[in-house]
Amino acid sequence: MSSSPTDTLVDVTMPQMGVSVAEGTVVAWRVESGDRIEAEATICEISTDKIDTEVPSPASGVVTEILVPIGETVDVGTVMARIAPAGVVVPAAAPPSSLDGETVGQTRTETPSPKNGHRRYSPVVQRIAAEHNIDLSQVPGTGRGGRVRKQDVLAFVDTDEPPLHIESPYRPDPVPAVAPAVAPAVGGGELSRMRRQIGEHMKRSLETAATCTTWIEVDMSRVEAARARLGVTGLAFVARASIDAIREYPAINAWLEGDRYTQHPDVNLGIAVSLGDDGLIVPVIPRAQELSVEGIAARVRDIARRARSRQLTPDDVQGGTFTITNPGQYGSIMATPIINQPQVAILDSEAVIKRPVVITDADGNDSIAIRPIMILGLSWDHRALDGALAAQFLAAVKRNLEAVS
Amino acid sequence: MPTLTYLQAISSALRDELRADDRVVLMGEDIGTFGGAFKVTDGFIDEFGPDRVMDTPLAESGIIGTAVGAAVVGMRPVCEMQFSDFISCGFDQLVNVAGKMHYRQGLAVPITVRLPSGGGFSGGPFHSQNPEAWFMHSPGIKVVAPSTAEDAKGLLHAAIRDPNPVCYMEHKHLYRRVKGEVPSGVFETPFTARVAQAGSDLVVIAYGAMVHTALEAVSDGLDGASVEVLDLRSLVPLDEEAILDSVERCSKVVIIDEANSTCAAGAQVAALIAEKGFESLDGPVVRVATPDVPIPFSPPLEAAVLPGVDRVREACRELLAY
Repeated sequence: MSSSPTDTLVDVTMPQMGVSVAEGTVVAWRVESGDRIEAEATICEISTDKIDTEVPSPASGVVTEILVPIGETVDVGTVMARIAPAGVVVPAAAPPSSLDGETVGQTRTETPSPKNGHRRYSPVVQRIAAEHNIDLSQVPGTGRGGRVRKQDVLAFVDTDEPPLHIESPYRPDPVPAVAPAVAPAVGGGELSRMRRQIGEHMKRSLETAATCTTWIEVDMSRVEAARARLGVTGLAFVARASIDAIREYPAINAWLEGDRYTQHPDVNLGIAVSLGDDGLIVPVIPRAQELSVEGIAARVRDIARRARSRQLTPDDVQGGTFTITNPGQYGSIMATPIINQPQVAILDSEAVIKRPVVITDADGNDSIAIRPIMILGLSWDHRALDGALAAQFLAAVKRNLEAVS
Repeated sequence: MPTLTYLQAISSALRDELRADDRVVLMGEDIGTFGGAFKVTDGFIDEFGPDRVMDTPLAESGIIGTAVGAAVVGMRPVCEMQFSDFISCGFDQLVNVAGKMHYRQGLAVPITVRLPSGGGFSGGPFHSQNPEAWFMHSPGIKVVAPSTAEDAKGLLHAAIRDPNPVCYMEHKHLYRRVKGEVPSGVFETPFTARVAQAGSDLVVIAYGAMVHTALEAVSDGLDGASVEVLDLRSLVPLDEEAILDSVERCSKVVIIDEANSTCAAGAQVAALIAEKGFESLDGPVVRVATPDVPIPFSPPLEAAVLPGVDRVREACRELLAY
């Protein structure tokens, strides 16, 4: 080799994770100095304000040095590690081999993340993907060599939102068990980073806001009919009805930061997405007021998918002005959601349940009918607004939902 | 319901048919006084007499040729080949005469040819073969292959009552190993496939003795996978609907043949899936079959060539991981 080795080393830099993000923290290294790594295999994990992600190795070779220790926060573009590509002699500093000229330490290979366009899919996988309009490059594969198997794409389809309407949530009470002596723990340990962050945010919100919750009952008959016709979820209708209600009561679509109250012209709609055991994330649909019900439904599907496949960027979770949470898919009927700071309100959409209700006809005659009813809850910050506005806003959402055609 | 062995179920079907229909006659080598090489027709000559349970010369061509003539004039003969291997001596009468009679002269040939087949008992190259594919390749002949005692009886009733020549493949290895409840009296099992075990992750398609190999291979659960076992029962006609339905649900397929691999029944099944089930597949169609060699006498060599539980299980594991 005639050139200096450092000329040919490949830098591993802190990636730009979104236009608004300037720095990131190294959470874990997957390699040590001296390890071999394949291109595209994960070299380290980093964390920004809201998103944790894995950094793929830019080249195959031997890691010659690691420059940023775990826990340190550095600017975007900072060199975090260097890799000597195959064929490059590593400077003597590289441990652990004592053999002269021997560069290879322990080999650590991971299945490389397949690149788009380089994967082949079986006929059934392609057919299911086409039927559900799925981008197969987003589907993690568990087959040999990371191949996407039928069960992988089916599991991906299953992560779609379940329908808003469910049958009666009533289940018989379980037979009370005799209280056992404390059994040995079957799981546990340190909270994950995401759980800790959720905890901090929730606790801070409750300490900051004067949180009140107001509920209203909504007859979802028309939504149910339209939903079936359009093939979209009820959530999209609730979102659209809320956006229309915000037009009437824009004070709901605001931030309160200390004493500074800011009303926003755009509805940047946050949608809470459960990540299962891992926690919860609230990706944002910017300028949701410009979208139809179908458009909202498509965006909700998109962000939910990306959230569950850990594909969100920090920009996807910033700038929300109003949030909707939708736990009713599991059958619950009421909740007291916690406001997503610095917003001033959060809407809780619950299960649609058939109930007997009193209907008054045009002549004023009452009768009892079976209607799909949903309880909408609004948690609002009493520092920013009062109960009357919350109730008027909810009434407007109700009116909009009951007028869906 | 009485519990019968596979062999007793075959005897029961023959006896019921002889009692029910005067047109039914049995022909074969040593089936009368001796009661058959495997004792399927033991005592029949006493009940039905030598005119209906006929000991024939050692001439398969004569047995089948006589049966074809009798069938054309209205009888319903059931021929026994002492071993299915010996059918090659009667090949011309079966393939060229019986199989083509309907197409050439519009005459039905309602004969049944019983073919004791299969290996696993050190019978060597002349007494262990599975010649069913020869007849699948010949138009005009139906081929069935029961794996259970109930199907052994029901398929034999249906074969005898079918207006076409039917090759009835009875697996020698199952004769006394397989037992089951069998309805009394005459019942016909349709020439369709049967789901022997339902599953959703992978389907093993087999017939005859290999159905039991398949069931045993997947009995340990294969690491929690849900494996279906489809028993073809009939090779001609082949139950395309059932095969494609299993493939549609499971998307991964292992096909077992005890016969030699090339052009075996399983090859036809694989071709069918490639052609009509392509869009359901999530992996290559995998075949486990006997290699293209005669069956060896030597027990370890025979065990090495026949598809065994371990080979089938390994094939399933490999495909599940694909």
